[in-house]
Amino acid sequence: MRIYNPTFGLAAAGGESMALKPVNWKSDAIALFSNSKPNARELLDGIRSKLGAFRPTENINFVAKNSASQPAPKDLIEEVAAKYRGALLAIAD
Amino acid sequence: MKDIAEQEVIDIGDLDIDGFNAFALEQGWSDGMPLYPPTEAKVAQFVDTVRGDNRPFAPVPPRQVVPTLQALAANAVMAGCKPEYFPVVTAALRGLLDPDYNLHGTLATTHSCAPMVMVSGPARKELAINCGSNCFGQGWQANATIGRAVGLILLNVAGAKPGEMDRSTQGNPAKYTFCFGENEEENPWTPYHVRRGFAPTDSVVTVMSGEGPHNLNDHGSTTGDGLLTTFAGSMATPGANTIYGKGPCVVIIGPEHAATLARDGYTIESIQEELFKRSRVHASRISKENQETYVSTGHMPDGDWFAIARSPQDIHITVAGGPGKHSAFIPSFGGTTVASVRIAR
Amino acid sequence: MIATETFRPLVLAQAKARKVEPRLIVVKHPIGGLNAQELAERIETATKGLTEATGT
Repeated sequence: MRIYNPTFGLAAAGGESMALKPVNWKSDAIALFSNSKPNARELLDGIRSKLGAFRPTENINFVAKNSASQPAPKDLIEEVAAKYRGALLAIAD
Repeated sequence: MKDIAEQEVIDIGDLDIDGFNAFALEQGWSDGMPLYPPTEAKVAQFVDTVRGDNRPFAPVPPRQVVPTLQALAANAVMAGCKPEYFPVVTAALRGLLDPDYNLHGTLATTHSCAPMVMVSGPARKELAINCGSNCFGQGWQANATIGRAVGLILLNVAGAKPGEMDRSTQGNPAKYTFCFGENEEENPWTPYHVRRGFAPTDSVVTVMSGEGPHNLNDHGSTTGDGLLTTFAGSMATPGANTIYGKGPCVVIIGPEHAATLARDGYTIESIQEELFKRSRVHASRISKENQETYVSTGHMPDGDWFAIARSPQDIHITVAGGPGKHSAFIPSFGGTTVASVRIAR
Repeated sequence: MIATETFRPLVLAQAKARKVEPRLIVVKHPIGGLNAQELAERIETATKGLTEATGT
């Protein structure tokens, strides 16, 4: 018996692999990106304080989605990509 | 040899129905209940029914693959659909793919949401979709299998595997199936799909990522005002996602409650206004920590009250069900929309 | 990215769908609902993970 595969799909266009840019975590501007769930900001805030022991923190800034349940707006992602060399995402809880 | 996942058509040899089901379970294709084999002949029958809509589908998140009609039909066959149900299933998928529906978020969330599928217009009668007594329940092939097909598509095409991509803390029985028809015949107001701009002769499927129906029991009230007090009091729940992730909800009014409201002069718009106003939750019913979180994420109270929706129009209302003094409230995921799509037949 | 151990499979599955290889720091689940003392352990683990992963 031959059956159709219920999971079959074609790869979406533009899904090519992406390379990560090198980041100097000792000095580069970093975004701490919260998923807006409770304690995400507090977690990132704690990490920022600890990073202060061995790097400047003036260029480590907080960014957040408007809502935990919705994706980050494209313009926010583009802004982060333009302004920061690296981003630490509190993303999955 | 290609991996099974990469093959559009798979030769499973001479497996019988039990063998096929064991194979499907092993592949992760099943919702746990028995499936029909999606044979080439059966799938072709289903694909033939959607000739009125040959637009390609957008990539389906979170897995981000572009589904073929054959793969979608395979899920409808497995669910036990009749071929003529398939255009309802594909229209429902188009609704789920509305960017504002936020399919990715609704599948990856810890919330219990599942797609509510409501059918309006002539297709309800032509396909024998239950709009009356027990319309959210068992016993009707169309209701049971259309909703199930949507669930299987989310599992197999979208990749919402429970415990992996589907991270719901507890899930919800509506994840198996949640499909019903609008009871236009006992609706004293304009049918839902017509209010949304479709023609009365159009058949339309409406989807929302929601919880299961919450019962609104009111045997005692004899006025529309009394009913709205009960409805709003039951909708004012501090544990609803929409208390902070503002979004839509659906209120399905039973025909007897609808008749009382219409007799007392209520329109859909005035019901929306009243429910919006009266269903706000007082701050005393919300923990201090939650209030701080809501405010810090921009969900400001109005004085001491937190609204459960952004506006009265977020409360979508129609009529379904049979005799009895019950209605239903279906809260949504929050960050989603109610999407209506014409069924191409 | 910081993910809890419970949500690690979700992050990996989503990353695979997008053809990216996330640099993942995994901490104990949960994050939400913890008090400041409990959260301090997650902060410690996440910072250690970040410094190890980035060589800082």
